[in-house]
Amino acid sequence: MKAAFPLFAIVILVGSGCRSTPPGQVRAAGVSSQPVAIAEQKGGADLPGIGESPDVVLSAQPIAVPDPIEPVNRAFFYFNDKLYFWVLSPVSKGYAKILPQPARRCVKNFFSNIATPVRLVNCTLQAEFEGAWVELERFAINTTVGVAGFGDPARNRWNMEKRDEDLGQTLGRYGLGPSIYFDWPVLGPSNVRDTVGYVGDLFLDPINYLVPNYAYSVGIKAYETVNGTSLRPGEYEDFKEAAIDPYVALRDAYYQYRRNQISNGEGQTARPVGTLTAE
Amino acid sequence: MKQSSKQTLLVLLLLIFGVPAFAMAGAPTDQIRQTTEKILAIVDAPALKGPDKEAERQKQMRQVVDERFDWAAMARSALGKHWRELSEAQRAEFTGLFSELIEKNYMSKVESYSGEKILYKGDKVDGTFGVVEVVIVTLRGTDIPVSYRVLKKDTSWLVYDVSIEGVSLVNNYRSQIGTILNSSSYDTLIVRIKSKIAAGPAESAGKKAQPAAEQKKGESAL
Repeated sequence: MKAAFPLFAIVILVGSGCRSTPPGQVRAAGVSSQPVAIAEQKGGADLPGIGESPDVVLSAQPIAVPDPIEPVNRAFFYFNDKLYFWVLSPVSKGYAKILPQPARRCVKNFFSNIATPVRLVNCTLQAEFEGAWVELERFAINTTVGVAGFGDPARNRWNMEKRDEDLGQTLGRYGLGPSIYFDWPVLGPSNVRDTVGYVGDLFLDPINYLVPNYAYSVGIKAYETVNGTSLRPGEYEDFKEAAIDPYVALRDAYYQYRRNQISNGEGQTARPVGTLTAE
Repeated sequence: MKQSSKQTLLVLLLLIFGVPAFAMAGAPTDQIRQTTEKILAIVDAPALKGPDKEAERQKQMRQVVDERFDWAAMARSALGKHWRELSEAQRAEFTGLFSELIEKNYMSKVESYSGEKILYKGDKVDGTFGVVEVVIVTLRGTDIPVSYRVLKKDTSWLVYDVSIEGVSLVNNYRSQIGTILNSSSYDTLIVRIKSKIAAGPAESAGKKAQPAAEQKKGESAL
């Protein structure tokens, strides 16, 4: 459930707090001491270089996103964009006037706490047993001390960060590529792998069992989205403002962002992954 | 703690042996920190407050940012294979506009700065390349990991890419620029970048005020 919906409005300058590694451990991965046998690596094959400049370096491998249904996706992007400016943004601004920010944070915590099984199961499936244990502890603390999950004392008092794992990431860990890009109406950017993951995670999210029918589920999801958007005012606007082609920017950012989530931000080295050289 | 006593030692050694080139060498983080602090000092300076001082404020910020960013490397990398197809004049034009676009976006972020914490997690260096890890803690309490990719020129560590939550800025622009150049022309690209640069401030002025006020309220967030 985490995967698709908030990503509609996040990515470039994100405040969603999606992270799977606790801050203390950010990328402790060692410095690569390999020689610069770089140039074209696999996956960058579509990126012929520019020859004369050895100082043009790549900090991360470019991603070639397969997008065979681009015209359809662009239409949905346009639809989502209007949905944001005409509905989601005004509604969340009005909502923010009624409910003060601390209360909205509580609502966010509450939904996040209920969704613990999604993260717990996916940590386990990825053999991140320490993460699974953290999720269990967080659930126990936040449900009791945090009063039914409205507070997050596990993080604020005991420094236990949420482990944001989902099924799309699990499938990625198992070696499944993202495959083709979808920009779903309402749900926003995704791909084949993450869409499968999204559907799977719906079955793991207890909120979908706690309500009597489908219409309620949709209503709750919509409310959760309004609440989440109200906590990130101006974010989508900023993203759009920085982009020369917002559709392509969102598509690329989504793939980069998910790749980083799947690797839990590890494997970063000081050395660039490649240079742009002549083929 | 440890870090700073090491630095003191280094400074002492330098005073004794006088090897100035050494001073800057091992310290990409320090240089990024210096730049950030200079920028924040400009934002905070009482003499530069207010909308009428905006031009002067931005000029000063631009100077500081220009010293730290390797625009030529970023622009080349953002153009990728298309760099070769351009004339010298076009390359220079693109580099100028590209840096302007990034600076504009960067400065609009900085202008709405309201006390977010910036944590320097350290850096890794390998030869003339390095990465500086920073975490920005928003007033709402969320962490945004940012990494600055730097390369060494003389004694300076210059930024050639910035990644936020694992999303590389230069790679993101390269994918956009590639799409535009593949389907239309260099002139179209330039027109679109120019309109982005021109459109920005007016559009953002109204809405920037709101998020800042919004965040202030939530400083005691749960």
